[in-house]
Amino acid sequence: MKEFTKEELKEHDGREGRKAYVACDGFIYDVTDSFLWKDGKHQVTHHAGEDLTNELDEAPHGIDFLKRFPVVGRLKK
Amino acid sequence: MAKVTREMVEKAGLNVDEIIELLVKNAGAELTTYYYYTILRANLIGLQGEGIKEIAETARIEDRNHFEAIVPRIYELGGKLPEHMKDFHDVSACPPAALPKDPTDVMAILKVLVEAERCAVRGYTHICNITAGKDHRTYDLALSILNEEIEHESWFSEFLGEGPSGHFLRRGETSPFVGKFLK
Repeated sequence: MKEFTKEELKEHDGREGRKAYVACDGFIYDVTDSFLWKDGKHQVTHHAGEDLTNELDEAPHGIDFLKRFPVVGRLKK
Repeated sequence: MAKVTREMVEKAGLNVDEIIELLVKNAGAELTTYYYYTILRANLIGLQGEGIKEIAETARIEDRNHFEAIVPRIYELGGKLPEHMKDFHDVSACPPAALPKDPTDVMAILKVLVEAERCAVRGYTHICNITAGKDHRTYDLALSILNEEIEHESWFSEFLGEGPSGHFLRRGETSPFVGKFLK
C-alpha cells in the first residue's frame, strides 16, 4: 500500500479538480466523490489533505463513515 | 447586518464567516429537502405508503420552517443567500433526498427519509458544538431545529423497524421548538 508523507497528503486538498484525501488512524481515504466533501471541505470546518484523527473524536459521527470510502494508502509516521 | 451581534460572536472567538457558511449550507439543505420531500410524499401511496404520508408531510413543512428560521440569522451575521437557486442547491449540507429508482418501494423511500434526517441531526449537532456558550442565538436556533430533526428521525426510524422511539405524531401546530423564531 502506498505511503504518503503529510506534505504529499496536503497536495490532495480537493480544490481546483485535485483529489480529496483525508487521513485517519494512519489510513488515507479518498473522499473525492462524496457530496459531503465538495471542494475539499466537509461541514465547512474540516479540510481534505489533512489528518483528521483528532477532529473525528469531536465529530457527530464515527470512523465508520470514513470506512465507506476507498483506502488509497497509509500516512507515514 | 447587526453590527454588534456580529462583534459579540467574533469576540467570543468564533470565525463568523464559517458560521455563516454553515448556516447557508444548512438553509440550502432545508429548502432542497422541502422540495424533495414533496416528491417523496406524492409517491407515498397504497397500503404501506399512506401510513407514512402524514409524518412525511409534517417533516416537509417543518423543514421549510427551518429554512425560514435560519435565513434571518444569516443576514444578522452579515451573510447572504446565494443569488441563484442552483448554487443554493449545490452548496446544501446534505445530499439530495431523491426519489428511489423504484418509486413504489416504500421501504426505499423510508431509507431516503431517515438518512436525510440523520444528516440534519449530525449537521445541527455540529453547529451546536461549535456555538455552545459563544454564539447564543445561533446555538438556540440550531438546538431548536435539532430537537425537531431528532423527532423526524425517530418517526421514520420506527417505520423501518429499528424499535420504538417513544415519540408521537404532532398534535396541533407544527414546529413546537422552532415556532418561536417564526413569529
